[in-house]
Amino acid sequence: MGNDSPRPGELFEGLYGTLTTLAVVPSMRVTLLNFFLCVLMIDCRKKEEAALTLQLSPTSTATNEDDLTVALTRFKTDNNNGYTNGYPNEIYRYEPTQTDSVDEYTEELHLANYPENLGKQKNLDAMHDVIQNAIYSFTGVEGKYLKRDIVSGRFKLDPLNQDRLTSIECGMLVRLSELGYYHDRVVKFSTLSTGFNAMGCMGQAFIALLKEELTQFHGQVAQLHDQLHNVRRKQMIAYMNHQVQDYRQQQGELTLMKLLTWQMEPLHRMQWLTKIADACQMKKGGELASVVYEYLDNGNPMVNRLAHELLTAICGPLVRMISKWMLEGGICDPCGEFFVESLDEVGADRLWHDKFRLRLHMLPKFIPIELAQKILKTGKGINFLREVCEMDEMVKGRDKLKKIIDNQVSDIFSCVQDSSWHAAIETSYQQTSKHVLDIMLGPHKLLDHLHGMRRYLLLGQGDFVNILIENMKEELERLGTEIYAHDLSAMLDAALRCTNAQYDDPEILNHLDIVVQTPYPGDYGWDIISLQYTVEGPLATMLEPTMPTYKALFKPLWRMKHMEFLLSMKIWKEQMANAKALRSMHDEIGKACYRLHLFTSETMHFVHQIQYYVLFEVIECNWVELQKRMQQATALDDILEAHEKFLSTITVGCFVNTMTDMERHLDTVYDNIICLDSWQSSFYRECFKELEAREKVRKRVAESELTGGYGLTSEQKIERDHELKMFEQRVISACRNLDEIATAYEKAVSGFLLALNSDNDPNLQLFGTRLDFNEYYKKRDTSLSKPLTFEHQRMSNLFSINSKSFIGARSTINPQISLALLNSNNSPNIIKKE
Amino acid sequence: MPSEIITLQLGQCGNQIGFEFWKRLCLEHGISPSGVLEDFATESLDRKDVFFYQADDDHYIPRAVLLDLEPRVIHSIMGSAYAKLYNPENVYLSKHGGGAGNNWASGYSQGEKLQEEVFDIIDREADGSDSLEGFVLCHSIAGGTGSGMGSYIMERLSDRYPKKLIQTYSVFPNQDEISDVVVQPYNSMLTLRRLCQAADSVVVLDNTALNRIASDRLHIQNPSFSQINNLVSTIMSVSTTTLRYPSYMNNNLIGITAPLVPTPQLHFLMTGYTPLTNQTNVNQPAVNVRKTTVLDVMRRLLQPKNMMVSTGPDKTNHHCYISILNIIQGEVDPTQVHKSLQRIRERKMAQFIPWGPTSIQVALSRTSPYVQNNHRVSGLMLANHTSICSLFERALAQYDKLRKRGAFLDQFRREDIFKDDLSELDESREVVDCLVQEYEAATGMGYLQFSAKKRAADTKSEDSKSIGPSSG
Repeated sequence: MGNDSPRPGELFEGLYGTLTTLAVVPSMRVTLLNFFLCVLMIDCRKKEEAALTLQLSPTSTATNEDDLTVALTRFKTDNNNGYTNGYPNEIYRYEPTQTDSVDEYTEELHLANYPENLGKQKNLDAMHDVIQNAIYSFTGVEGKYLKRDIVSGRFKLDPLNQDRLTSIECGMLVRLSELGYYHDRVVKFSTLSTGFNAMGCMGQAFIALLKEELTQFHGQVAQLHDQLHNVRRKQMIAYMNHQVQDYRQQQGELTLMKLLTWQMEPLHRMQWLTKIADACQMKKGGELASVVYEYLDNGNPMVNRLAHELLTAICGPLVRMISKWMLEGGICDPCGEFFVESLDEVGADRLWHDKFRLRLHMLPKFIPIELAQKILKTGKGINFLREVCEMDEMVKGRDKLKKIIDNQVSDIFSCVQDSSWHAAIETSYQQTSKHVLDIMLGPHKLLDHLHGMRRYLLLGQGDFVNILIENMKEELERLGTEIYAHDLSAMLDAALRCTNAQYDDPEILNHLDIVVQTPYPGDYGWDIISLQYTVEGPLATMLEPTMPTYKALFKPLWRMKHMEFLLSMKIWKEQMANAKALRSMHDEIGKACYRLHLFTSETMHFVHQIQYYVLFEVIECNWVELQKRMQQATALDDILEAHEKFLSTITVGCFVNTMTDMERHLDTVYDNIICLDSWQSSFYRECFKELEAREKVRKRVAESELTGGYGLTSEQKIERDHELKMFEQRVISACRNLDEIATAYEKAVSGFLLALNSDNDPNLQLFGTRLDFNEYYKKRDTSLSKPLTFEHQRMSNLFSINSKSFIGARSTINPQISLALLNSNNSPNIIKKE
Repeated sequence: MPSEIITLQLGQCGNQIGFEFWKRLCLEHGISPSGVLEDFATESLDRKDVFFYQADDDHYIPRAVLLDLEPRVIHSIMGSAYAKLYNPENVYLSKHGGGAGNNWASGYSQGEKLQEEVFDIIDREADGSDSLEGFVLCHSIAGGTGSGMGSYIMERLSDRYPKKLIQTYSVFPNQDEISDVVVQPYNSMLTLRRLCQAADSVVVLDNTALNRIASDRLHIQNPSFSQINNLVSTIMSVSTTTLRYPSYMNNNLIGITAPLVPTPQLHFLMTGYTPLTNQTNVNQPAVNVRKTTVLDVMRRLLQPKNMMVSTGPDKTNHHCYISILNIIQGEVDPTQVHKSLQRIRERKMAQFIPWGPTSIQVALSRTSPYVQNNHRVSGLMLANHTSICSLFERALAQYDKLRKRGAFLDQFRREDIFKDDLSELDESREVVDCLVQEYEAATGMGYLQFSAKKRAADTKSEDSKSIGPSSG
């Protein structure tokens, strides 16, 4: 522009030169230069007017608008230089056309009709300003009238300029400015590191979409600007041409009213964006998706669409994670957003059970837990196959599945889960689990191993256990410190060879082993020798967690077998044999023998019943159930789950770690059987000693008779009588000991029965009635019949409902029973005292 | 091999039922009459080595010893298709072949004479097994060989193998028909004494009841020996199924017997089997096929008419079960067993002893896959019931009748054992009388103090016994 006439240019150069030589503050210099430039631009003819503006800094012209001249100047400077109060971007875009055209008008503009024009112009300007302000506010920019409230972040009218507006304009402006407020908030939510943004990859996707929304919005606002400027230009042209009537009725002129209607839709959108983004603050991953999912089913189609778009964007990364996990078994999740979590510190040996787990708080609401489990299991299966089974094949139809899973993002949250996406998930789940199942059942023989464990660890193979005990019986009765494991494994092999176990798969038998624990002082072989089933490789991954349960289960079962062995193979067998051998001493020991036999048959009954209950009703019945479920299993986890359930059921049934009276009574019962065994050994030892002595006497008599003597001398006879008396005494005291054992035993059995009958588990109650099938104990112990009375059962049903008030209620309602209970609880102590 | 059982078959009856038993076992295990495993017998769930062992050419040989004093039955066995099954060394026939003439004393003394040869066989069999569990003796108590020689062998076995179980399947004579053996009461009494004192458990097979069952339940007009023996072989095979098809429990003979026998004397067991079908001819369609359930089977087993012992009417209704073991075979739902037991208890279908805890034990057993059974569920009961003493009472009565008149004693006096006097007979009577008393006592609470009561009777037998020749 300055090129039009050399004169002003020279002048400016001169001034510029002068200014640079002067030592002025740089900012001051710039201000001055600006000023000069302005002056030069209005052709240097209005120096006096320009002089007035000199007092002002060009950047703050807006504050002194009262001054008409200044306003005029500003108008001109505005048109030449663009808006000095900021936003060069917007201005530069329109400058080329504007500057040229305005230049022409300014050339022609004269000050002759200045006041008149000024009036019109002012009116026009004010209107324009207001609209401009409103549009600026849309993108959150402050203007002359609208200022941002620092506290609320909303726009409010500038109190300085407010009175220039009509109240209607005020209202409309404020309403229009609301859009700006929401825009600002969305900007805040979509800017990283503000602390209000969503986080993680899925958060980034969310933010990206917010940004896109903003960009679209900005485009719309820019179009408004464009429209405004176009109208403005036309107005100016009309104005210059003095078509005063015309410029008012410019077509497409923007009014606040029009803006209000325009604003409705974006406002609504921004409001919802704000609302959603607000809820998503600091959220990530599945949580984020859940939050957005909440907005999905809105009746408003716009909102619905919006939420759908947002959710689709958010789920993009999630779906990619899922496909990577399900098809390759990998987790690429730097921000911890995926609902499957891999624990790095867990090794491959616990891969199946512990390495992977669901991050429940990262599970989006629209993915049901079953589906999540399936997804978890699929990837787990792939990892398992790769790392534990060392199989590297790819998932069948991987590319196709991947395509479906990756691309049909929005299906993931469809309300009915029958989309092709879900089908793909299902397919890959089915495929992988089938594969894992086949691998485990086929080459790794999982079922056979479970069967093996049931047969050997849970003593299902009765003949094998019998022979094993028979083979090891000397070791078992030895003190713990004298037992050597290497002897035992030979015995185990022998037992395996000569029972039906020999027909079993050798692979399974190889896993069976005998272990000897470190003995505590006083431990016998029975206490420390146990069977163990060692599993390796993939099986170990599957079965390792259940091994402690098997160990715990083996103990009571082994103990039961111990008792059975003691009773039938030792105590009973000895009795049968000795009854024949000691028949001649019936007079002396007959009574003791009877007591012994009857007591033995009592214990035998108990041990056989409990063994039958545990081995058949608990283990066998549940095993049948387990087998049924294993047959139906479609995935490995079905089998493992069923297996775990089986174990937990039989753990309860075998009285393991129940911490109840039952377990304690049972121990007492067993202890008494062991007592019985040692009592019997010493009893028979005495008897045989006596028998031998008698035999000796008889022989001597016979010899002396042969030689013609008188048989026995009187001393010998006295000695013999004395011995006999001693023996009789010993038998009597032995009888007393036996009675003590029997009493202690009976007390324990009564306690056990009472505990069974008072239990809420019907199976245990029935077992109780079976143990006392002919009501022998019930007749002897009146307290036993009480738990079976109607009142008790009704009460105990009540108690089981509100068990909190169990003890208190019981003692008030039926004191007798509680007394009986107390007695039964105390009984072991009594026994100990005795 | 483990827990082996050696079967001794004595006399005509013993060999006949033994023969049926082995036939049955071969069928169940899929072993051909010549001892070779059939081609279809591929399932190895069974345990054959309890009763069989394998020769070097892998064919199965029964652990059986066949003893007789006369050749008829053994010859018929050796002439049958199963001739090759047995180890010929284990078949022992007395050289003079005259039999025992239905005379217990003759059988007993021949047993004594032949003991070396017989025990050569038994010892060889016993040495050939890893952990011999016991002996099973099949014989009748009425004849000469089974009762007399059986008695002798039983006594020797319990001396020689005091730690081994001796179980017998003893056939009691039919009371309903007049026996052609006039000294049967003597024979029975003398054998019963050995069964009391030398055996550990006796499975009583009462011909009276077997015949009654055959005619009443199977509707056979004149039941033949083979039809009766078919019943017996069923009982013998089923009572050993838990040994032959091992599972979680009852896998050895002691494990089965010990809970059934509370005191050494009360070891006479009754059996019952249901449902019975007339299946002598395989091709013939079976009659009386009915629907069976566990409860049904267990209830029927408690009915006296299904018992294979004729105990006579219990007028005072005081007899009771000392112990029961039910072996249930077939397709059994495990939960049904429990329900049935509850039902039996609620309805008090069985009376039990008052002096100790007892109940119905149940052993579920697999069945052979090679033998077709018409019924889904079948069951065998082994029971220790006090009413068995009526059998002994009857034997006592018959004995007393004969003894009072001192009839037919000459042929006994001819043998060594009765050379001096007939005290052996009186002692035997005492022992059996004691047994009857003990069973009677076991019906009431008094049994706990029984020993005092018994002393009077016992001392008598004790005193006389010290002179007796058999107590060496």
